[in-house]
Amino acid sequence: MIGRLLQLAWRNLWRNPRRTFITMAAIAFGYVMLLFVACLMAGLRWQMIENGTCLVMSQIQVHAPGYYPSGSIQKTLGGRQGTDVSAVLTAITADPRVFAAAPRVYGYGLLSASHRSAGVELMGIVPNREPKITILNSQITKGSYLTARMQKGVLIGGKLASHIGIEVGSEVVLLAQAADGSMGNDVYTVVGIFHTGLDAVDRSLVLMSLSSLQELLHLAPARIHEVGIKLNDITRATAVAAALGVQLDKTVPVQVSAWPELAPELASYVQFNRGITFVLFFIFFLLAVIGVMNTMLMAVFERTRELGMLMALGMRPVQVIVLILMEAVALAVASLIVGGTVGVPLLWYLQVHGLDLGGATGEVVSLAGVVVGHLWYGRQDFPAYSQAALGLAATVLASALYPAWRAAHFRPSEAIRKV
Amino acid sequence: MLLGMALLNLAEMSHAADDQRARETVERVARLFSSKSIIATVKMQISNEDGQRTLLMKIWSLGEKTLVRITSPQDEAGTAILKEGSEIWYYLPKSNRTVQVPASMAMNSWMGSDFTIDDLVKETFLTRDYSISTSFVGKRGGVAVAEYTLTPKAEAAVVWGKIILQIRQADAVPTWQGFYDENGQLVRELTFSDYKLMSGKLIPTRLVMRPADKAGAQTTIEYEDIAFDVPISQGTFSLPGLNG
Repeated sequence: MIGRLLQLAWRNLWRNPRRTFITMAAIAFGYVMLLFVACLMAGLRWQMIENGTCLVMSQIQVHAPGYYPSGSIQKTLGGRQGTDVSAVLTAITADPRVFAAAPRVYGYGLLSASHRSAGVELMGIVPNREPKITILNSQITKGSYLTARMQKGVLIGGKLASHIGIEVGSEVVLLAQAADGSMGNDVYTVVGIFHTGLDAVDRSLVLMSLSSLQELLHLAPARIHEVGIKLNDITRATAVAAALGVQLDKTVPVQVSAWPELAPELASYVQFNRGITFVLFFIFFLLAVIGVMNTMLMAVFERTRELGMLMALGMRPVQVIVLILMEAVALAVASLIVGGTVGVPLLWYLQVHGLDLGGATGEVVSLAGVVVGHLWYGRQDFPAYSQAALGLAATVLASALYPAWRAAHFRPSEAIRKV
Repeated sequence: MLLGMALLNLAEMSHAADDQRARETVERVARLFSSKSIIATVKMQISNEDGQRTLLMKIWSLGEKTLVRITSPQDEAGTAILKEGSEIWYYLPKSNRTVQVPASMAMNSWMGSDFTIDDLVKETFLTRDYSISTSFVGKRGGVAVAEYTLTPKAEAAVVWGKIILQIRQADAVPTWQGFYDENGQLVRELTFSDYKLMSGKLIPTRLVMRPADKAGAQTTIEYEDIAFDVPISQGTFSLPGLNG
């Protein structure tokens, strides 16, 4: 019986191809629209998180308890004795969810060149490790990145450079209160200038090799303030941070913070974005539902006469309803496949090429303290895609069910006479 | 009636005289370490939770200009700080550079100590900036002392809400000084001891500064040698002279 109904449903769909195609187009178009919105909003979220974390901060930071956020120079991992840095790094990268980890040292100082000086934040990094977790190395606009050869090389921000009038190759003096209370000082050469687009970074950050900052601050090589971590999947940051905290605490007391804790304004922006996505999704979904419902209702109502005929020939009302639902399911599945197929290149394009917001100006757009760039990239959000598919399929079924139910309850003689 | 007015008058006069004496005493204490010129050798001991550190330095002072040169420990020896008015210069032997630092750094901890660079070299104008009243006269710990409370005058640009200065009555040398914030909370206290006659003046040669908010932290300054009104050439304070 079911087999016969299926056969009938399939034939019905092809009996009026134009009607079928119009309905399919409505569903498929609605689906593509939802895919588009979901992809762009997920892309914005991802871009915000990615850019907010990959510039300087990193996704997860490991500190000694009490270091964050006050940042006392003495509060190095493992206390005043320091810790076995490579063992800590090994323990962190042993977690398969961790992509890379890099140690860091921080300090505050005075950067002075000829007759001008400025207060700066000093950040010591391991030149060949840091690029695995942040992208500062790609933000250099003049000169070059730090190399192991240039021990006394520093990278400074473009705004700082123009403020105190120095360029690549200039010698600068750094003066900093060292860990032992003395005035650490030395001469360094500017090897590169970076432009990140973030004012605070471009105005006050000075990057140098970890070992030379330790030397300036009179910190032993075993003393570091932070390990920055990048994960394979940033969405797991909070869970991985908690797991690493428990794991590392066995050997050295730590406080592990994921990016939502390190950049609360970014985390609240992401929350806000989710809210907006929900509203947008709802609006687009309503639009799609109205289109699909309209076509489905019309398509079933105009077949009232035909359905009456089937019942006159002995088909029971429940069989009519099952028949229509089968048609609707087939239609929904086919439309979603078509919509998905059309969507794939679109989503691919959004992810790879992005939408150009800045146009020809190439202006840098920054939002909530994060550089977004002028290209708006999409990001695949499969949960949202499947929710949209299920929602649309349910709409198709619901909007087929109502006219089918009505048609099934006409007396065949009346149904036949309906136009 | 007449007698009453006379008594009142007398009381006022005695109050005024008392104030005048307080003013003179404070003025004398403030001038204890000021002179036309000074050459001093100072030992500074800084102890806090980060450990203990000892610095030896030599100080030259002439009018508005002050030069401090560190002589020990070895790796900091040669570091020189020149202050001329509000301008501060550091000579850094390790870098062989002279660096001008922002005037705001004069308010920060100096070399990790509990003193600021201003404490070391700035002439304070206690009698100009503060109104002075006698708040205690009597014996404390078996010593006859007088205590003066200094409250800033409305127009004075000072950081303290109140300063309390205690002196020994016998010879008017300072024994204790407390620095309070606007809420009357003690911020730091300075204890004086080891009074010696140096270059014709009786001065406390040992000063201990304790910040109220850091338990266990303190900085001790000991004057190993101090000479007042000695001739110093202006050239001592020149920038080229900084790298000594």
